[in-house]
Amino acid sequence: MIGAIDRRVIYLLVLLGLSIPLLKNYSVRPAPIAAAANLYQLVEELPSANGRVALIALDYGPNLVAENGSQARVMIEHLMRRRIPVVLTALYAQAEPYLEALPQEIANRLMLEFPDQRWTYGTDWINLGYRVGGFQVLQSIAKSDNLANLLKKDARGNPLTELPIFSKVHTLKDIMLVGEFTGLVGMLDIYLQFLQTAEYRPPIVHGCTSITIPDAYIFLDSGQISGLLEGIAGAAWYSELLSKASPARAIDESRVLNTGLGVAHLVVIALMILGNLTMLWNRRRSE
Amino acid sequence: MSWEAATIFVGGLGTLAIFSFLAKENPFYRIFEHLYIGIAAGFGIILTLKSFLWPQILQPLLGLDIQTYPDGTRSQAYEPLLLLYIVPMLFGLLYYFIFSARHSWLAKLVIGFTLGISGGAAFKGFFNGTFPQITGSFKPLLVFSEQQFDWFSSLSNIVFIATLLSVMYYFFFSFRSESRALGKVSASGRWLIMVCCGAYFGSTVMARMALLVERLQFLMHDWWRVVLGMWT
Repeated sequence: MIGAIDRRVIYLLVLLGLSIPLLKNYSVRPAPIAAAANLYQLVEELPSANGRVALIALDYGPNLVAENGSQARVMIEHLMRRRIPVVLTALYAQAEPYLEALPQEIANRLMLEFPDQRWTYGTDWINLGYRVGGFQVLQSIAKSDNLANLLKKDARGNPLTELPIFSKVHTLKDIMLVGEFTGLVGMLDIYLQFLQTAEYRPPIVHGCTSITIPDAYIFLDSGQISGLLEGIAGAAWYSELLSKASPARAIDESRVLNTGLGVAHLVVIALMILGNLTMLWNRRRSE
Repeated sequence: MSWEAATIFVGGLGTLAIFSFLAKENPFYRIFEHLYIGIAAGFGIILTLKSFLWPQILQPLLGLDIQTYPDGTRSQAYEPLLLLYIVPMLFGLLYYFIFSARHSWLAKLVIGFTLGISGGAAFKGFFNGTFPQITGSFKPLLVFSEQQFDWFSSLSNIVFIATLLSVMYYFFFSFRSESRALGKVSASGRWLIMVCCGAYFGSTVMARMALLVERLQFLMHDWWRVVLGMWT
């Protein structure tokens, strides 16, 4: 009988499994993830106040924001907490709204937590906007000896030469870390292939969607990327580490999303076991 | 209703319309499917015009980014070399000759140029992207850390090398040995590929769930708040 169950009933069960933690805003402690912990440590050890910046590429659209958005949020928050200037850009057109909204949202949250401190546009972060040209943009950045002259203006139309964040940024060597958040096939590859010179290659860290985890591990294993956040689970563990270091920090959405996902996975696993048991039982009965 | 609330309301309607396909195919789903495809195509074009072609190419080319102050001085001098931008723009426009039976050879110049660039980039990309993976696969089978034998790393490397060799042998079609032992290596390669496919399938399910959870969060918090606001 269970073999003939309407697929819509299964959808409904999965939907319920996902919805209940979200409705109750309930979260459990995420599972420790070694790759996320290593990435946290890498950011923790970056030198601050030396004029060098972190380049964060948000190459995701609404279809990938669930995972890449959560990852970018925790990592940018960590960089901002450590007062490491963040330069945001994207090679993917649909990322444009997030480039403007995400760092501002993080800055607002931090200023609520630390009312006596300010995080301001132009000093703590800038948005270079969506850049047209794919690998050619990255190759130009790698070869440039004057980045402000090459990139000219930010997304708000300010000349980069007038922004404090760019006062000491001249070449690729002034970018101490690259964070690439994407689930698009081939997007990480072009950063790995073209954002380097013979003398210098900035450490590249990657936030991948669950579907690209097996691919991302190849790059982590070969040392081509220096850190990895795996789907929402990676973001949730990173968030946990941030909260441990800053107990006053409000819980962000990645933990709740991770809990919802966990419950839905349990529902799927239970249905798979039930389906297989029913099949075996039916086969035995027909024999 | 504010502009932001209207956006959220339409976004929620779109999400529900697309999800309605799970119940059955329906006109509500079809309308929003076509809307989505149209918006996604138009968005890229408009954004390229708005954030690249106009501010970075056309404005400097036409001198529109130069401000004239009340005393008659200008914020910057016009750079005549910018006129060179016209050359690649005209060259790119030759692509449209693809619609002309007589002059389609002009479009082939652009295609050939683009293929040349892509070929060169792929060549560089192969060396920078794939070579580190080849060198990264040369792992020691016995690992010692701080002069102590590291069981876990050694086992991990042995599994890695065994998987690499057996999968490579499975795809080795130049000649086949009749040896039973090598046949088993090939079969184990096939099994290991199946394990990899299982990992891919599992992660695909996980990614799809993540998409759903984000949409549910949007519907439950942002959209529902707007809907309640409309009623009260």
